[in-house]
Amino acid sequence: MTIAPAPPAARPSSRPTTRPVDQAAPERAVLVLHDVTKQYPNGKVALRDVDLVIPEGDFVFLVGPSGAGKSTLIKLLIRDEVATHGEVVLDDQDLARLPRRKVPKMRRKIGIIFQDFKLLPTKTVWENVAFALEVTGTPRRKVKPAVDRVLALVGLTAQASQTPNQLSGGEQQRTAIARALVHDPRLIIADEPTGNLDPLISWEILQLLLRINELGVTVLMATHNADVVTALRRRVVALEEGRIIRDEVGGAYHHED
Amino acid sequence: MISFVVFSLKRAWQGFWRNALMSLAATATMVLMLLLLAGFFIIQTGLLAGLQFTEQKVQVVAYLQPNIPDSQVQAMEGRLQAMPEVASVAYITRDQALADFRASMKEQGREDLTQYLDSNPLYASLEVKLAEPAGVAVVTQALRDEPQVRNVINIEDLVQRVLTVTNILRTAGTVLLLVVGVIALFIIVNTIRLAVVARAEEIEIMRLVGASDAFIRWPFVFEGAFVGFLGAVIALGILALAAEPISGFMVDFFRVLPIQFGSLTRDLVVLVMGAGVGLGILGSWLSVRTYLIR
Repeated sequence: MTIAPAPPAARPSSRPTTRPVDQAAPERAVLVLHDVTKQYPNGKVALRDVDLVIPEGDFVFLVGPSGAGKSTLIKLLIRDEVATHGEVVLDDQDLARLPRRKVPKMRRKIGIIFQDFKLLPTKTVWENVAFALEVTGTPRRKVKPAVDRVLALVGLTAQASQTPNQLSGGEQQRTAIARALVHDPRLIIADEPTGNLDPLISWEILQLLLRINELGVTVLMATHNADVVTALRRRVVALEEGRIIRDEVGGAYHHED
Repeated sequence: MISFVVFSLKRAWQGFWRNALMSLAATATMVLMLLLLAGFFIIQTGLLAGLQFTEQKVQVVAYLQPNIPDSQVQAMEGRLQAMPEVASVAYITRDQALADFRASMKEQGREDLTQYLDSNPLYASLEVKLAEPAGVAVVTQALRDEPQVRNVINIEDLVQRVLTVTNILRTAGTVLLLVVGVIALFIIVNTIRLAVVARAEEIEIMRLVGASDAFIRWPFVFEGAFVGFLGAVIALGILALAAEPISGFMVDFFRVLPIQFGSLTRDLVVLVMGAGVGLGILGSWLSVRTYLIR
């Protein structure tokens, strides 16, 4: 699904259109950030007055230079950090008010993918994916069908018994995506998923994320990959110095006038 | 719940062998530290037994007036026995005293000069063993108050000095054992921390996929307990192999000491096993905790 075109923007521009930040989400929102500020104990303000609504099924690129606050934003979403001010609401739960012991359960609603894959080198592809279920107490009989299903989805059924060092970078990232999917998450967060991959493989990974999005999973992808962002014309949220400076549907990597 | 325990034990076992080098290094450290601890414990036990033995040697000797009837001596013995400070009373008759003296001379290879005497020059005496050396003053005074007592050898100053020395040694031994215990604790906890830190990435992944704290913590705690158990078994095995020569030496050296080898062995097993498993668990718990607190 796609976002409906926003109301007329202040600045005259045909496409892309600027989204007013306070526009009410038309559908159920997976993620709502309201007036979020994050200041670290050392005084550095990483995010300032951030408002962001991500409806169910959206595909959002999060762009911006290093140090713009992308990593901090992701840390807030997985509640590695708590906002100094404002609300981060994931699936109708305010993360700041979520008790610590409920954090693990909330994290199972999020699948996260990293630039460096974060696979366990001593485990096979199958075991790496099953690991996510085992450590969350999933009954044994449910593990196998779930793992087999997501491995088929990412196209790694044949490589199931190989270890990460026997795989190409793209295959390793697909393993990580399978692991992120195995909990049936509401939201996939991809932090520079193509950062370590060559352009062709990057496209493969993008195709996979788009297909997962078509299956109804919301995707938030932080990236520096300008080609991909500009070519796909999806929703683009641009951060700079901790503020959202641009939030447009069908946007390019760089601002276009 | 049962499946959780099974899961944790299985993961602990896997964790141990997947990082075999780290685990064996931790186990080796554990063995060395436990041996150190056990060694100091044995020394401390020997020291305490020696001190106790020394203190038991303290006895007050009272020489009696000549020709006291046995009935009076027995009455006096009864009065002394009734005192809480007194452990036992022995009556040495004049004949007995002479026999003892002669035996002692013979043992030292000296000539027995008493054979040139017409009569027995020695006095009968009461040897009073004390329950506590500290009771020496009370007992000495009680003996002096008895009219049948001729004189009492004054050993109060000597006893005070012995008590000062034994108390210092006892405190020093305990402090030393505690210091060694604390050193062992820090080294073991640190070694286990290294083994946990080596798997920081695994813990991070567990956190990211939504594993609860218990699922992250307990496999490591079980693994720490296993390292401790294995270390304790190996350390006890080494001690058992060394027990024969050591106890032979100890028996020679402390022939006179009242060491209970049975209870020493039991205490050692409890100490080594308890310290091993306890420190293993403590080390893992503390190490994993740093990753869980956010």
